[in-house]
Amino acid sequence: MAMPHFTLHQPSSLEEALDLMSRHRASMKVLAGGTDLVPKMRAGAIQVEHLISLNRLPGMNRISYLDDDGLVIGCGARLSEVGANAEVRRYYPALAHACSVMATTQIRNMGTVAGNLVNAAPSADTAAPLLAYKASVVLVERGGRRQVPLEKFFEGPGKCAIEHLELLEAIRVPVPLDRSGSCYERLSARSQVDIAGVGVAGFLALDMEGKILAARLALAAVAPTPVRCAECEALLTGHEPSPDLIARAAAAAVRSARPIDDVRATAGYRRAMVHVLAKRVLETCLSQAQGGAR
Amino acid sequence: MNNNPAIIGASLPRLDARDKVTGRSIYVDDMMLPGMLYGALLRSPLPHARIKRIDVSKARALKGVKDVIVGADTPQIRYGNWRLVPQSQDELPLAVDKVRFLGDEVAAVAALDKETAERACQLIEVEYEELPGLFTVEDATAEGAAIIHDDSPGNVSLNRKITYGDLEAGFKRADYVRDDVFTVHAVSHAYMEPCSSIAAPDEGGRVTLWTSTQVPYIVQCLLAATLGLPENHVRVIKPNVGGGFGGKMELRPWEFCAAFMALRTGRPVKFTLNREQELAFGRRRHAMTIHSKVGFTKDGKITAKDFNVLLDGGAYNSMGPTATFLCGNFGAMLYRYPAYRYLGRHVYTNKPPAGAMRGFGAPQALFAAESQMNMAAAELGIDPIELRIINAMETGDEIPEVATISSCGFKESLVKVREMSGWDAKRKEKSPGRGIGVGCYSFISGGVFNWFNTKYNFATAEVRVFEDGTAHLLTMATDIGQGSDHTLRQILAAELGIGIEKIRLTAADTAVTPKADLGTWGSRVTLMSGNAVIDAARKIKEMLIPVIFSQFDLNQIHDVAFEGDRVFAKARPDKGLTFGECVYKALRGRRGEPLTAFGAYTPRNRGLVSPAFSFGAQVAEVEVDQETGLIKVQKMYTAHDCGVPINKMGVEGQLEGSIHMGLGYALMEDFVMKDGRTLNTNFLDYKIPTAQDMPPGESVEIDTYEPEGPFGAKEAGEGLVSPTAPAIAEAVHHATGYRCMDLPITPPKVLKGIGKLK
Ligand SMILES: Cc1cc2nc3c(=O)[nH]c(=O)nc-3n(C[C@H](O)[C@H](O)[C@H](O)COP(=O)(O)OP(=O)(O)OC[C@H]3O[C@@H](n4cnc5c(N)ncnc54)[C@H](O)[C@@H]3O)c2cc1C
Repeated sequence: MAMPHFTLHQPSSLEEALDLMSRHRASMKVLAGGTDLVPKMRAGAIQVEHLISLNRLPGMNRISYLDDDGLVIGCGARLSEVGANAEVRRYYPALAHACSVMATTQIRNMGTVAGNLVNAAPSADTAAPLLAYKASVVLVERGGRRQVPLEKFFEGPGKCAIEHLELLEAIRVPVPLDRSGSCYERLSARSQVDIAGVGVAGFLALDMEGKILAARLALAAVAPTPVRCAECEALLTGHEPSPDLIARAAAAAVRSARPIDDVRATAGYRRAMVHVLAKRVLETCLSQAQGGAR
Repeated sequence: MNNNPAIIGASLPRLDARDKVTGRSIYVDDMMLPGMLYGALLRSPLPHARIKRIDVSKARALKGVKDVIVGADTPQIRYGNWRLVPQSQDELPLAVDKVRFLGDEVAAVAALDKETAERACQLIEVEYEELPGLFTVEDATAEGAAIIHDDSPGNVSLNRKITYGDLEAGFKRADYVRDDVFTVHAVSHAYMEPCSSIAAPDEGGRVTLWTSTQVPYIVQCLLAATLGLPENHVRVIKPNVGGGFGGKMELRPWEFCAAFMALRTGRPVKFTLNREQELAFGRRRHAMTIHSKVGFTKDGKITAKDFNVLLDGGAYNSMGPTATFLCGNFGAMLYRYPAYRYLGRHVYTNKPPAGAMRGFGAPQALFAAESQMNMAAAELGIDPIELRIINAMETGDEIPEVATISSCGFKESLVKVREMSGWDAKRKEKSPGRGIGVGCYSFISGGVFNWFNTKYNFATAEVRVFEDGTAHLLTMATDIGQGSDHTLRQILAAELGIGIEKIRLTAADTAVTPKADLGTWGSRVTLMSGNAVIDAARKIKEMLIPVIFSQFDLNQIHDVAFEGDRVFAKARPDKGLTFGECVYKALRGRRGEPLTAFGAYTPRNRGLVSPAFSFGAQVAEVEVDQETGLIKVQKMYTAHDCGVPINKMGVEGQLEGSIHMGLGYALMEDFVMKDGRTLNTNFLDYKIPTAQDMPPGESVEIDTYEPEGPFGAKEAGEGLVSPTAPAIAEAVHHATGYRCMDLPITPPKVLKGIGKLK
């Protein structure tokens, strides 16, 4: 399909952007890096008359970390910037890893974390780590702001809790606990330029005695949305970590997966891989947490 | 015989490389002509159906639309590359009565812009009566299956048999017989440049076509035939081409539609495909079901082989007949088979047609044959490389009535690759998840067969030389990115003893370059066009040698040398002229008649297959994650015999590209299809390996000299694509115990194979 005709707006303030969205509400889309949107428009899957670009909004590409406030990722921050940020790498290694290995160099240089979340693909690579870190998204419209936990954000393939006239302004991630560890593993047949067939992110924090204080495990590409694994988390929390516990937790994680057969992998393989990756992820988290670093 | 080591066997960067990597080279889609229209194709949405009615009135009425055509508007002349067998020509540019695959071209539009052309296509109303779709060779050959082409009941379009030796006695003599079935899948050529063509009307009802093709001469002939024009009314020009790998070696519907509508509208018409269309509807490598039975004595000598192949041809013959023929030949290569029987059957199915693709039947045949050698080695308790050495072909070997091997460095390749890969130690040391395996190949350097039924020589060249010391080489040889233009320049430069930069080259314009050339396929260009260039160059030299004799009053016993831009008496280098001066004097002597010579090459008395065969052995080292099934190829070692390499850098490029392609074939490329529809139509989901998947490699060229090749050269373009998959499959087996007999080797198959996945 040839590219349809549309008008590109490049507002220079948030207010102007929200006004434009409202004015062109009948046929409008927000444009961040365009790496999801443009291919869909080319394919004729999306037809809009107005694109409201976020690329000239001041301050939107911020990535800031404060010890009491945690991490804030502006909606303009590129995947490559997030992946290379020193504090993200130090405190949120699972997210840094996802942002550095997903897609391709060129896509990472354009694509944003916000776009990845709003696009709401079941396989979105930043979603699982952010779920594991208990992130929330800040949504803004002309009437005001609201904060939605990421757990409540995803509704189905391509569907999320954002309203048509809302902008995802920023992603907020709480400060990780002491004695914690986290990591993300993704699997695909090709080393690069690939959508994950399965992605697993984990977070474990230990108490002073070395028992598991908090456990979170999130999966990508194995259900209609990225999901947390409640059963697995409950199994771990409050217990002394052991190889046996981790093995049982990994097995429990599989029960949160509802994979399908598609062109990338079969459901059976995906389920088996959730098991394998969950185990690996939990082991890594644990060894990081036991190493003392957070 | 290599009198010019600075040129022949050197490692020379190509003249076009810089422009290509900086994006300056012009391809067909970059070209614009005044008044040009844009074409779009309407394709069948069904895999198998009868066309009941087509109504184009709404499309025609759309503003900006200049022409709309359907099958009924065209001369309806069937075409196909096998002109020698007219009943094999089963294609029409636009479907008439029936569509046979999802994507079969039904109508075409030419409009002022591309969007309008595409919108107009959507306005064309076609009423279909759906017919049962046949998507596997088993279904298509089943009793009572629907018939895809009326003249091929049973849906087998072609049978090919090869037999020699006493098969029965061979198997009787065998101590050990293997009987296995292998299946191999279809893959895409995935050339960088999607197909593109522009046709422009020329004076007197003639037409010129710029097209991304591997076979300008074949396109000229078949386009003229389908348009109902004399051959000479059609001019085909091949600009830069961004790869073909066999996918651009036929006349294609858009070439016809561009030319036909250009003649109807009086305006140039351009068609360009996109990647989705290429992957969804484009040609592909044949999927095959291969049943192979081989007998061995207990000390490893092969006694007989019975090779049965079903080729999934898709909806039309395309280059299937050649693939069917060659697959049988490759099944008999590499080893001495005292008795051999081949039966290949080419089967129609309702899928995009399979065509020629790099290796042309060899990757499939050799995946089966080489895997089977590895399996036999394990059972016989003989090292796989040793088993091959026991049976390897040698120089002078004969395949009865088919071919004589005039040079063969196969054993040397095996010995070399064993040594360079550290095979003996690594093969013994068993560490879980790590493995090493071997695969081998042999390939043709062009075909001696004439399925196109040309009246001309297979390859030709015209050489003109000038008093400024330069030369002009005209040839229809078709560089599609492999670098043959550079190779031919090297050959001419070496023969005339002038610098490469002194040579102007005009290639692949059917109105200008000498007739004919069968194009780029079958690894034929270096050997065949190279020989034609040498032939022409020698005739030029014959015109120049007398000048030196008379100028210096040389004794008859002297020989004349061409070197360093000079022509001189070999034994008395002072007695000579610059190349330019020599041409000048010759021109004077000829009273102004230009120095021009034609050269040609057609293989004669070279059997039934090819004038020369390449050989090689490859070793793959892999690491397999036994929990996820992911395979990482750690290193590839290659020792191969391509005769004398003309350009070492070019050979290296071919080797690396082959490994890349072989890697994709072995591990990840696959069309995901449902009911005749291709589901993975972009490079995100149709996975070709990236640069990061490429393993490091080491390679060695075995020193041989091919008497039939230019300066001793033979092919290096296609053969190398074959050994990679069987080598990796064997390495995976060595690492995990899982033996893949159905490509590709995916992680789930590995896990199932080792009992870790249901
Ligand atoms: C070749 C290729 C490879 C890819 N590989 C991967 C991969 O490995 N893993 C992966 O997860 N993804 C992958 N993607 C998808 C894509 O690159 C990512 O999802 C990327 O993060 C999207 O960000 P963007 O800024 O480009 O979004 P855009 O395309 O600009 O927007 C995506 C959607 O979100 C909306 N949107 C964007 N920002 C906002 C906002 N602030 N507020 C409200 N709505 C907004 C847009 O309207 C649109 O609907 C790949 C894409 C391509 C083309």
